[in-house]
Amino acid sequence: MPQIPIIMPQLGESIAEAVILNFLVKPGDTIETGQDIIEVETNKATMTVTASCKGRLTDFTVELNESYVVGASLGHIEATAEEAARLGLDSGPQQKENHLEGGSKGDSSNGSANTRVQPTVRGLPVPANAAGASYLSPRLKARMAELGLHAADLAGIAGSGAAGRVTVEDFEKFIANLEKQMTSQASSMRVAVADAMRRSWTRPIAHVGMPVCLDPLFAYRKVNRPKPGPALCAMRALAVALAENSAPAGRLVGSKIVHPSSIDIGFAVEAEDGVLVPVIRNADKKTLKEMVGAYNDLVRMARDRKLPANATGGSIATVTNFGTFGLEWATPIPLPEQTLVLGMGAARHKPRWDSVKGQFLPIMEANFTLSFDHRVLDGGAAGRLLQRVGTLMSTPELL
Amino acid sequence: MSLTYLEAIREAQAHALREDPRVFIYGQDVGSFGGAFKATKNLSKEFPGRVLDAPISEDAIVGLAVGAAIEGLRPIVEMQFADFSTVGFNQIVNQAATLFWRTNLPCPITVRLPCGGTAGSGPFHSQTMEAIYAHYPGVIVLTPATVEDAYSMLIEAVALDDPVVFCEHKFLYYHLKADKLPNEALPIGKARIAREGRDLTVVTYSAMVHEALAAATELSADGWEIEVVDLRSVKPLDTDTVMASVARTGRLLCVGEAWPWGGVTAEIIARVASEGYDLLDAPPQRLNAKDTPVPFHPNLWTAHRPTARSVAEAARKILRT
Amino acid sequence: MLQTLSIPKAPVPAGADRDTYLTAYRFMLLARLLDDKYAALYRAGKIQGGVFLGRGQEALSVAIGVSLKQSDIFAPLIRDAAGRLAFGEPILDAIRTYLGSSLGPMRGRDGNVHRGRPQMGLLPMISHLGAMISVVNGMLFARRMKGIPGSVGVASIGDGATATGSFHEALNQAAIEKLPLVLVVANNQYAYSTPNLREFVCANLADRAVGYGVAGHEVDGTDLSECLRVIGEAVGNARAGQGPQLVVASLLRLCGHGEHDDAGYVDPEFKHMQLGRDCLKVAEAELLRQQWVEPAELARWRNDNIVQIEELVAQVQHEPTPDPFGEDWSAISSRHLGETHEIE
Repeated sequence: MPQIPIIMPQLGESIAEAVILNFLVKPGDTIETGQDIIEVETNKATMTVTASCKGRLTDFTVELNESYVVGASLGHIEATAEEAARLGLDSGPQQKENHLEGGSKGDSSNGSANTRVQPTVRGLPVPANAAGASYLSPRLKARMAELGLHAADLAGIAGSGAAGRVTVEDFEKFIANLEKQMTSQASSMRVAVADAMRRSWTRPIAHVGMPVCLDPLFAYRKVNRPKPGPALCAMRALAVALAENSAPAGRLVGSKIVHPSSIDIGFAVEAEDGVLVPVIRNADKKTLKEMVGAYNDLVRMARDRKLPANATGGSIATVTNFGTFGLEWATPIPLPEQTLVLGMGAARHKPRWDSVKGQFLPIMEANFTLSFDHRVLDGGAAGRLLQRVGTLMSTPELL
Repeated sequence: MSLTYLEAIREAQAHALREDPRVFIYGQDVGSFGGAFKATKNLSKEFPGRVLDAPISEDAIVGLAVGAAIEGLRPIVEMQFADFSTVGFNQIVNQAATLFWRTNLPCPITVRLPCGGTAGSGPFHSQTMEAIYAHYPGVIVLTPATVEDAYSMLIEAVALDDPVVFCEHKFLYYHLKADKLPNEALPIGKARIAREGRDLTVVTYSAMVHEALAAATELSADGWEIEVVDLRSVKPLDTDTVMASVARTGRLLCVGEAWPWGGVTAEIIARVASEGYDLLDAPPQRLNAKDTPVPFHPNLWTAHRPTARSVAEAARKILRT
Repeated sequence: MLQTLSIPKAPVPAGADRDTYLTAYRFMLLARLLDDKYAALYRAGKIQGGVFLGRGQEALSVAIGVSLKQSDIFAPLIRDAAGRLAFGEPILDAIRTYLGSSLGPMRGRDGNVHRGRPQMGLLPMISHLGAMISVVNGMLFARRMKGIPGSVGVASIGDGATATGSFHEALNQAAIEKLPLVLVVANNQYAYSTPNLREFVCANLADRAVGYGVAGHEVDGTDLSECLRVIGEAVGNARAGQGPQLVVASLLRLCGHGEHDDAGYVDPEFKHMQLGRDCLKVAEAELLRQQWVEPAELARWRNDNIVQIEELVAQVQHEPTPDPFGEDWSAISSRHLGETHEIE
């Protein structure tokens, strides 16, 4: 049964938020369309939030005496699929599932052929006249499109319009001020990276980290040719770990996890004013030794800006070695099309307690961090993956 | 010398009668009486046989004008009140306005309508009718707001080969004065920026131009600069000037004395929303008379139509958005 | 109460009227055959919109056309095919307008009987009955103002139109201005399906003339010689400056209101009355009685007309119809003032 969110409605002109005063029903109650379910207070009056459909109250997700903005979700009503469809209400992920499966499957799941025209624009009715900090008027949108700006670029503007709206006057003042300051043209690489990071950041990104002992790798390098670098080793370890369980590298689209079809691992190479990410394809199927030559070639081509088109793109995770800058830890942002980025800090001599010898012994240690899209995996799974990588790094001869 | 809006209309008719022997005036009480509002005072004396009294037959009055136009004359019809023109509505919109389309023969009649409310005139002596005439193809509809426009646009109307509905405003007849008649004027079809502004565009016409200007003065004390656009002609409507003004200010308020449904204000907003959507920083709004017949009592009448106060208040709402 | 005829009938003098009578009859015949052709085309689905015939009114109508000069003014109405031809309207105008040829005077912008050439003094009707009368007034008024003497204007209407406000205003106006207007009312007993008693209750429509202060005439609309006489007299009076003339003719509509109408509501009693006669047949009988024509000649005229009509219809059917993309969609002549604000 679809869970229909209860949305804080537009309670009056230039009302942006309201305080929850009273819950008028409790979870489990049967409710009718239009029934008063929450009492709220604005700076003008006490008003009520009414149910947008018939059903059973599932829960309230807000606290009494707390303030919530117009448009915030306050709880859920469990309604029948017919009721939800009748009202064109979107219950979120469940509804998106139907979209993804395609029209015909969705139709057959409703029973006999549905001849009603299905709206493409769904969701709960929003106020026809919007206000608030995130509202962009047609003129503002057009002006931003003209200048190639995004909502993120407006973060620095205080809006003087209703409920903090950025008016076109505010915007023009902001632009005029910018033009008074020294500006230089951002390179196309910079602009591309900015766009990628902005898009990536629309997801909730979290990080886990742990120190990894690199002595086994350094020992391996002393006696083996060719010599794999720490980043390549980490790539190979990550590839093996993901071949064992690729779920952490999956991508969430709607309510589906899209699994990787091949374990292609990218690595970050700093190029002038930006970062390139060449890719080693099928890194799970090549040994560390076999990858060294290809890796070195890719690094060289990247630095010379001569990477062929098929050498980038399509990787399912990236490794970045910021240790080369002397950094001990960092929180990189995964590429927008990826869920994971594995970061490596600088190797340092660190004391490790040897319980056998009863003393601290020096080892070479580097912090490994895993930044991940928290929608796809949680700290536990991230931690387990990182652990596995660390374990694999301790036996480079098996990689 | 200073002359009123009404005197300018009389002067324009005298000019037309003098310059073009094909012109004549036909309407109720226009002859020796000089018209209900004295718009034709002394003209029948100055131009004998060309300013003629008609019976109370608006249908036949307009029909006669169409016949005269077919014969190459240029009749000016004076309706005693715009409100009575509904009796002649059929002849205006179905006879005069279709003649050129159906037969390729233009119909150069000018129908003068004394429009608009004054305190105490009541439901049948107060109407503004530009919207229903403008709705019909084949008609030109003019709404002069100034003494100068009343003069020059009436002269241009009589010279046009097509049917013109000339909406003169009774409230302005005696209250609006100018020092002299103009030598030149904006042509029919061009709107006028009555007041330059920056923060909001108010588009309006006829008597409401003056209310909008008064509202602009009030708002200017608070630092808001309102741009007032006087449409001058409702059909054709100068969309370019309106669009350019909204491009400057980003906000639009349309004001009309007529009723809201399908009025001139609705037409302007439809055009700006469809052709200038990205010019708008706030939803476009309109202010009209209340959707009831025009009331008689001055208490009710002043609340029924937009005033400088209500225009200022509507403007403030948009400025605060 | 059905109207009965009690108008004294003057005998047709021989000689002087023969040519006029023959000319008039030939227009009546052509009009009738044209109407037959429209009816056939309509039933075959070849005509868009309505078809309105003048069957039964030919004598009255042709009398108007024959009595007017080319420089006069004529506002025909629905059933004036004969009068239009007699006044000088090209026959192709009629066929082209019915068949929607872009070469017709209305260029497809109006159709069937809504046609005319105002510069020629032949007004194209609008559908609001009675509305054309004041336009005729205006033309006569203007000619007087311009100092052009001697014109007469005829407006043709039916019994139903006498109930309209525009009829009243216009006749009254013509009387006030003492215009040379001849208002010809064809009382064919029905306004669409509405009998006289639901349109007026005065004993005689012609009595209304007194109310307006104008001269009134009555005539047997089925009798061509009477129509020629009475209409001729009315036109002469108007031209002589006697002011408006109201002529009321009694006849019967011998077709539906339009060809879509089977006229089942017409009281069959009318067919037995004088006013129920077919004026074309009456005229033919008179022609034969006067020996102004041989039966063979009648038949020959009939066939010639039919052939002529067939040829013209065939010709017009091959003519272009209006092209919406080539059309100049401007309702005003001052093009610089035109505007459109739709999606291009």
